[in-house]
Amino acid sequence: MTMQKLDFLLEESRKGRPMTLALACPYGDDALAAVARAGREGVVKAVLVGDGARIRTLAEQDGCDLSGVTIVEEKNDEKAVERSVRMVSSGEADLLMKGLVKTSTLLKAVLDKEWGLRTGSLLSHLFLFEIPVMDRRVIGISDGGMNTYPDLSAKAKIIENAVSCYHKIGVPQPRIAALAAVEAVNPDMQATLDAAALAKMNERGQIRGCIVDGPLALDNAVSEESAKIKGISSPVAGNADMLLVPDIESGNFVGKVLLYMTGGKGAGVILGARKPIVLTSRFDSMETKLLSIALGAVVARS
Amino acid sequence: MEQIRSLSQLLEYAKKIGAEKGPKKLSVAMAEEAGLLSAIEEARQAGFAQAILVGNADKIKAAADQAGVNLANYEVIDERNEPAMGMTAVSQVSSGKADIYMKGQIHTNNFLRAMLNKEVGLRKGKNTISHCYFHSVEGYDRIFFVADAAFNMYPDLAAKADITQNTVNLARAFGVAEPKVAVLAAVEVVNPDMPATLDAAALTQMNRRGQIKNCVVDGPFALDNAVSEESAKTKGIVSPVAGKADVFIVPNIDGGNMLAKAIVYFSKNETAGLILGAAAPIVLTSRADSARAKLLSIAAAVTLSDFQK
Repeated sequence: MTMQKLDFLLEESRKGRPMTLALACPYGDDALAAVARAGREGVVKAVLVGDGARIRTLAEQDGCDLSGVTIVEEKNDEKAVERSVRMVSSGEADLLMKGLVKTSTLLKAVLDKEWGLRTGSLLSHLFLFEIPVMDRRVIGISDGGMNTYPDLSAKAKIIENAVSCYHKIGVPQPRIAALAAVEAVNPDMQATLDAAALAKMNERGQIRGCIVDGPLALDNAVSEESAKIKGISSPVAGNADMLLVPDIESGNFVGKVLLYMTGGKGAGVILGARKPIVLTSRFDSMETKLLSIALGAVVARS
Repeated sequence: MEQIRSLSQLLEYAKKIGAEKGPKKLSVAMAEEAGLLSAIEEARQAGFAQAILVGNADKIKAAADQAGVNLANYEVIDERNEPAMGMTAVSQVSSGKADIYMKGQIHTNNFLRAMLNKEVGLRKGKNTISHCYFHSVEGYDRIFFVADAAFNMYPDLAAKADITQNTVNLARAFGVAEPKVAVLAAVEVVNPDMPATLDAAALTQMNRRGQIKNCVVDGPFALDNAVSEESAKTKGIVSPVAGKADVFIVPNIDGGNMLAKAIVYFSKNETAGLILGAAAPIVLTSRADSARAKLLSIAAAVTLSDFQK
């Protein structure tokens, strides 16, 4: 069975004590509206770190209800980011979210050796997407934006990060397809060599808690019929939960097709830090933003 | 001509060519499969194609019987040796007896070897042969041409320039007067550590200097700023291509293949493909393609052949 529908994340996030989300510099990109709504709906307990007067003005302009939301006063952007990260590393907050501040500024703070959130693993982005034409089947993509040209060991870490997330959202043995342009190993195509190595690393127990197969082309990873025509028999072929993309270009293309051409919704989170980091784009729909916050909260809880 | 904006419109346009100027002739290498013959028969009945069927005449007969196709409407050339089937089929095109070279059950290597043959093949000088997927996606008012997602694995700049020109010619055959070409990368800024962005910048300049013609090339673009004007605007990108791209040049086969297949499997779309850059259009469909996709590929080849004449 493949996973279907993402709405369970909203329900899951409301179980038990709400997780506290620290949103750094909540001045736009609609992150403010999404977090305020997530707070009202009990998905998280919202803490906004930034210039209080500016936040209140913006909220008023956008008709955004701030009741139940805590504001931590910190006018300077860089300090607001540091404060947010420190809140998470000290346990005062459970997850971090980026507002209107450069991603590089946020990540620099996250990776700070003294008060940051680094674990020695690699940061990677996992995007879960609910696909309308596939009966709302949920397919994950990683890494769609953090790592440009990951080598084999980086790819193994990207899988490990994703696997721990899947375990937390109730998929005990995710099926991971290491994608390439073709399903045959070709010495001239690095993605196929890495994919074969990852499949073997999984067999030898070097990558655990999941089933990895590859190389697979996207069609035989997601379509049983296509896998059958190609004569591929594997527990992953046709039924992949997650697509491991070989590089930032392919990840970007697949991710953007999902966002711009399918009419579906998704949930994204950055993994590999001590706590999850939510990073939405202003083009994400309100639904996708809420689901991303919920995913972050569910991952933060367990 | 009016711009063809969906693959249904493409089919109508091919029918119009057939009605006004007569059908184009396919030369099919190893035409021994029922599904393929059905698609060819459908194109024949729609009035835009005829075919010379090359292969084992007994097997062609058996496949035709299975598909319910009457071979009286076709020329059959009996050829039992597989490499020779490719040579015979391609020479029908290079000698002018047929207009389009099409792959049947023949192994891709044999099919392409014949196409590249110096005497009877279809190579146009040193021009790069490339593949193009064309998609109509629900919610968009135009066809997206994606190249090269299947044929050239890791093209260098010179090959990318050829691929761009080949694809632009196809878009023009579809009535896109001056195709807008987005050279894709993961980001929209030039980054010395990302070779795709450097090639994109160079291709843009080659277009401005007249080295790539009849189109407007811009890049690097991330896919979102190539298809969404709003996204391009927010990123502050001012370009006639931003948000309006017809043609997408992908950096290599990995990203290209995943882009095309993500469109095919994750969106509401119609998709077909064609091989470009040779002296005549080349149809190379796979057994996994639907009958409709095969028909659309033939319609595209007919449209391109008409445009090039």
